[in-house]
Amino acid sequence: MQSRGVALREAIISSPALPFSEGLKPKPHICKLNKPWVRTIMASAVSTANSEQVAVKAQEPPPLQVSRRLEKFKTTIFTQMSILAVKHGAVNLGQGFPNFDGPEFVKEAAIKAIREGKNQYARGYGVPELNSAVAARFKKDTGLTVDPEKEVTVTSGCTEAIAATMLGLINPGDEVIIFSPFYDSYQATLSMSDAKIKTVTLRPPDFAVPEKELREVFSENTRAILINTPHNPTGKMFSQKELELIASLCIENDALAFTDEVYDKLAFEAEHISMASLPGMYERTVTMNSLGKTFSLTGWKIGWAIAPPHLSWGVRQAHSYLTFSTSTPMQWASVAALQAPDSYYEELLKDYRAKKNILVDGLKTVGFKVYDSPGTYFVVVDHTPFGFDNDIAFCEHLIEKVGVVAIPTSVFYVDPNEGKNLVRFTFAKDEDTLKQAIERMKANLKR
Amino acid sequence: MEKRLSKRALSLKASPIQELSHLAQRCNAINLAEGFPDFPAPPAIKDAAIAAIRADFNQYRHVQAICDYLAYTLKLTQGLDVDPKKNIAICCGQSEAFAAAILAVVDEGDEVLLLDPAYETYEACITMAGGTPVYVALNPPCWTLELEKLILAFTPRTKAIVLNSPHNPTGKVFSKDELTVIAELCCRMHCIAITDEVYEHITFGSAVHISLASLPGMLERTIITSSISKTYSVTGWRVGWAIAPVEIASAIRNIHVKLTDSAPAPFQEAALTALQSVPEYFESLRMEYNERRDFMVDLLNRVGFKVHFKPQGAVFVFAELPETCAMSDVEYVAKLITVAGIAAVPGCGFFHTREKLSRQESSQSILDPVSRPESMGWCEGSHTLKDYRNRYIRFAYCKSKATLMAAADKLNKCNGLLVLHEI
Repeated sequence: MQSRGVALREAIISSPALPFSEGLKPKPHICKLNKPWVRTIMASAVSTANSEQVAVKAQEPPPLQVSRRLEKFKTTIFTQMSILAVKHGAVNLGQGFPNFDGPEFVKEAAIKAIREGKNQYARGYGVPELNSAVAARFKKDTGLTVDPEKEVTVTSGCTEAIAATMLGLINPGDEVIIFSPFYDSYQATLSMSDAKIKTVTLRPPDFAVPEKELREVFSENTRAILINTPHNPTGKMFSQKELELIASLCIENDALAFTDEVYDKLAFEAEHISMASLPGMYERTVTMNSLGKTFSLTGWKIGWAIAPPHLSWGVRQAHSYLTFSTSTPMQWASVAALQAPDSYYEELLKDYRAKKNILVDGLKTVGFKVYDSPGTYFVVVDHTPFGFDNDIAFCEHLIEKVGVVAIPTSVFYVDPNEGKNLVRFTFAKDEDTLKQAIERMKANLKR
Repeated sequence: MEKRLSKRALSLKASPIQELSHLAQRCNAINLAEGFPDFPAPPAIKDAAIAAIRADFNQYRHVQAICDYLAYTLKLTQGLDVDPKKNIAICCGQSEAFAAAILAVVDEGDEVLLLDPAYETYEACITMAGGTPVYVALNPPCWTLELEKLILAFTPRTKAIVLNSPHNPTGKVFSKDELTVIAELCCRMHCIAITDEVYEHITFGSAVHISLASLPGMLERTIITSSISKTYSVTGWRVGWAIAPVEIASAIRNIHVKLTDSAPAPFQEAALTALQSVPEYFESLRMEYNERRDFMVDLLNRVGFKVHFKPQGAVFVFAELPETCAMSDVEYVAKLITVAGIAAVPGCGFFHTREKLSRQESSQSILDPVSRPESMGWCEGSHTLKDYRNRYIRFAYCKSKATLMAAADKLNKCNGLLVLHEI
């Protein structure tokens, strides 16, 4: 007697719907199919139990599934706010990209690269000249000498460096500590790696690292800690003392440090310190950065990860299967960018400082409680003087009735409640735009 | 500190194709290995990119018009209706679109069917997502799909099947009949299909590229991935896409945003120009590649290779070493690089099944279709020298005429040295 599985298989093969049906006959040795899984799968496809009358009846197909790791994923808050902004003609101080363009010399370098035919796949971990330029810049900034061939990996923006680091170095179930508030891709990529996220909250007014809380959460089970300095959204810059505290915990517990330093050149009130430069830390740190913020070319997606060879390996593996290689002409242009003289960075800072003053002074006049922001091009403020329950309600009002966009910071916390009093503004806009926003708030935002 | 690496990273090996490219570079060999052109990209498209950079399209960007145009073209060429606002996600190349698609639908323990020989990256993405790649061998010499093998590969854990057509490395273009069979099975087994169609515009003669999604019942369960790289000879620009049912497209978009945030902005603008190329562009693309294919096939035949299967599409010839050649594919390629100064890719990197040519020898393996890819490293895993999986070499012909002529010249001169006819 044939098993149901075999009979069904024959039915599939001999079904008139299949073009190969005529040429195929079940061969004797294949009839020995009695593996349980065959019966199971065939059984699930069959709705009648009659082995003589095996018909493949289509069952209600299960709904197309999206993997469990993504159940929490929705459109980002940035997109939502941008859509609302356009709808209401609001001045957008929400999403963190400049509304002015990058320097001519970098753009011309990209154009030159395109014209010279540098349009095909670059080496997976980066065009050699860019790897060298990144290493040279890192040496200038931190004093550390790294091997561009083994310790620098070029990625599609710092966002991809973060994704590749998480996917390449974190095992499911590993504990990773992040500071709230955090840039939203951290939580997303950590959950893609099935990591166990532990968070420590930074609180106003100075968003200092709470030592007691950090010690409570850091244990020998901690695999890594993620540090974003200068910090988005608060603008906080981790101090030497704070970094030393974290470093000592890392070394004690043999944990890794992943640092996101994309705003390192926008350090206004304090000196930017790279974790990798602290004693005992280089061998356990992945330092990530990018071109976009420093050169106002956020859409080019050129970033990098610097790490010792044994860590770079994991990052490179994940990177090679995430995007394979990074935009070639932009990499060449980045070489030119990274060789910019000191005066470029001085101008950049001067420019942004002027913008910051306009925004901060304006926000204070309007009536916000403004927190000091030592770095980045963001400022967080307390909106509660205006009488709204939470940050999202405030931001919606701000767009619809005042015509200005800010980002509600609750989305940057594991527990949204912790951020409901704060909203984030960016000053990466030209001065007229900033002034216009302030005028609108002065006119329409009342306590 | 190797324990610091995730299990996933430890299971991944460096790309043999990329490693060979490095060797070829060191030996200054003519590169017929990696599949990217050495001739310039179309001037109009480069100009569009330059114009975009100059016009300040340099910040984070999503160029919706690309989606509009893709939807329009899909309707025109495949008769499919998709919503440009909901069904399409722009990504950093087909590479990222595929990685995001896998991350979107593959859970721990899910199985994904792959047709062997297969581009090496698919497996790695699946493994990274916690899934298990399951290989179904296409039968040499013409890489035919055997229905029984495919059916046997399905288990209750099968989540998806990957279809690459036109196919790398063989150049096969799956026929309507074959696609019908695959579609039938997908529908009956409630399986998702993920396609890699990067060579969609490079087909020859009567071979027509048909999207699996256009078959009955498939639009609602297929994720199409493709890019501008091969069609417009700009493999370094990283603009690709995924077209999928609404929930999946949304998931892919969200993943993409978390992986890279956006595809390079100026090249998105240039992609729009590229996608609006006149029909003559595609005609000439096909014609140019057709010439190169013929040249390559002819050359390889003359030098002693067995080209059983003339490619119907893509940019590769997958040629078999003759019986008279005693070397394995790896040995041959090493000689080819060092003696003839030409680089190609040994085929073993594309093969993952343990199945042998002769069924009598291997009845056990037929009954056990779940072929777990062992850590193949650099072409371990084959058992006999005459195993076909060690006998194929992939030659890329997406190169300028000058390059191909130079390669022909070298091959002809070295013919004797390459001991193709020795035992």
